[in-house]
Amino acid sequence: MTFLLHAWRNIWRNGKRTAITVVAVTLTTAVLIVTLSLMRGFGDDMVHNATRLVVGDAQVHEADYRLDRSIYKSIANPDGILQAAQKAGIDAAPRSFSFGLVSSGHKSAGAMFWGVSPAAEKTAFELAKEMFEGSYLSDQAAGQVVLGRKLAKSLHAQVGAEIVAVVQAADGSLGNELFQVIGILKLAGEEIDRGAAIIHRQDFDSLFVSGGRVHEIALNAWDRMSPEQVVAKVSPAVSEASVAQTWRELMPQLASMVDMMDAALAIFGFIFFLAAGLGVMNTMLMATYERIREFGILKAIGASPWRILRDISTEAFVMSVISTSLGAIIGVAASLYLEAHPIDLSVFGSGDMSFSGVVFNPLWRATVDQQTVVVPVVVMWIVCVLASLYPATKAARLDPIRAINHV
Amino acid sequence: MKKLRLLSLLGMILWTAPLLAGPEEKSDAGARKILDRVDDLYRGLSSHGKMAMKVKTEHWSREMKIEAWSKGKKKSLMRILSPRKEKGMTTLKSGENIWNYLPKVKRVIKVPSSMMGGSWMGSHFTNDDLVKESRMAEDFTFTKSFEGERDGVKVEEVACIPKADAAVVWGKVVVLVREADGQPLWIKYYDEDLELARTMTFSGFKKFSGRLVPSIMLIVPADKPEEFTQVTYLEMAFDVKLADRLFSLRNLQR
Repeated sequence: MTFLLHAWRNIWRNGKRTAITVVAVTLTTAVLIVTLSLMRGFGDDMVHNATRLVVGDAQVHEADYRLDRSIYKSIANPDGILQAAQKAGIDAAPRSFSFGLVSSGHKSAGAMFWGVSPAAEKTAFELAKEMFEGSYLSDQAAGQVVLGRKLAKSLHAQVGAEIVAVVQAADGSLGNELFQVIGILKLAGEEIDRGAAIIHRQDFDSLFVSGGRVHEIALNAWDRMSPEQVVAKVSPAVSEASVAQTWRELMPQLASMVDMMDAALAIFGFIFFLAAGLGVMNTMLMATYERIREFGILKAIGASPWRILRDISTEAFVMSVISTSLGAIIGVAASLYLEAHPIDLSVFGSGDMSFSGVVFNPLWRATVDQQTVVVPVVVMWIVCVLASLYPATKAARLDPIRAINHV
Repeated sequence: MKKLRLLSLLGMILWTAPLLAGPEEKSDAGARKILDRVDDLYRGLSSHGKMAMKVKTEHWSREMKIEAWSKGKKKSLMRILSPRKEKGMTTLKSGENIWNYLPKVKRVIKVPSSMMGGSWMGSHFTNDDLVKESRMAEDFTFTKSFEGERDGVKVEEVACIPKADAAVVWGKVVVLVREADGQPLWIKYYDEDLELARTMTFSGFKKFSGRLVPSIMLIVPADKPEEFTQVTYLEMAFDVKLADRLFSLRNLQR
């Protein structure tokens, strides 16, 4: 272990040179950690918004349901699936859907009625918190309806207004009922904004004579497990005619958008790492070149080329460990700050930002995890050691006389 | 003077005749007459009747009794008599608009244009079917595509292709009538890809108020051949006196 000691001593022989290198590597490490955390935060937020609002990690449907959303294609044993989810610690919300007409005063529009269990929605999903006006449905059926924002606008319906629902019930009869608008949702994606009329499951059953049919069970594990694990947990309870799918399968467009964003971030990250790595490499190269004369003397007094190589790279490694430790402390601290105090992007544009049916959070929050710290640190180690190896090899192979005379 | 008047009349006829004849060259006069007769089949100055509507779909089947009034082409009123759940539901058509009165909630709602393609009262008729006032002879170019005997009945068949500017949802409509009295036997509707979309079959030819009409109308969607809507006229009176206010929104709520 003497070579470690040598390295340690060598580092402090020229304090100024070492300080420059340490500062450069420390700052780069810190910046990389913050950048990665912000990128991670952005990606997580997008997935979070896509899944935590209403979709969930996974959903169960009758196998063909999503083709035509027919009221007759319901899940065979919703209770069994709900129990399986509960046992596995997954939040679940059963939903029924059907199309109908809503009318308020002289205005009317087509709408997708959602029959929900408000208590389950409130614990399993966040849509109930996203109220533009009024409040979400109360837990007991009370003839209330929550409308999507654009639907409410086209109906000129305010909170407290009365709307008429006219629908074709499951038995072929014509259902009609009065509802009171209890709340209007914030913008939450085009499908909900324009179409959603959310009512209590019991109200849905009596309006559509639907006999408790459930068309969708949305599952949310709140990051306790992966979407694939969620599917695996409930699958035993899902009958053959039904299918459990992850949000990636349910929203392939969004999934590919997230993947694309990930790829873009990866490319961006790569360029950033490259630039930072080259900067550090330059510092290391200069620091090593400066000492070629010293290596020449070492060689002249009998050091083997291998020993020179080992000493120099050990020095670089020790120095990088010191610098990255400092950098990690600064980087994590800054990232944690940005996690607690997200960057407010709404200053740059209007409050609601939605794209491809997904609403973006105007607050850009950093997310720190193992990966966002470990990757920059390890990359910096590699860069430092590699950057020292080139001049070290050169020095190791030098003719001692020429090395000593090297300027 | 008399001679002069006659002459000018003759001149007018000669002058306008080519204009009248213009479209007739493309589609023959015989075919036009067939289409006009089918279009005017139930259209009197006014009518009042009762009908039974039987609807069968994959998941349910039900029967409704409906009382209907109409005046001219623009106005009609239909009130459901049974079953009990829908009793009193009333549809008012005035011009291009449709309103429904719902007795349970005591509200009138207007059918939005986005729902005009939707089903009327759960049947295979769309709201558009009730509203459309298009005359086939005006919105389509047509040719007699068959003339002769089919199943022992002398028939004539007219194929109609919508004109480029006509507000018609179909890609093609084919009408088959009996040659003897011009009564329709079936009308086939094709979508824009010229795939058969639905077939309307007529039968039970009966005289109401001295007018011969088919009393049974059967509509079968081509993609679901096991489903159908059948309308049977139980009573029908043509050219009855009806007040305009019968077709008002105010009356709808009574």
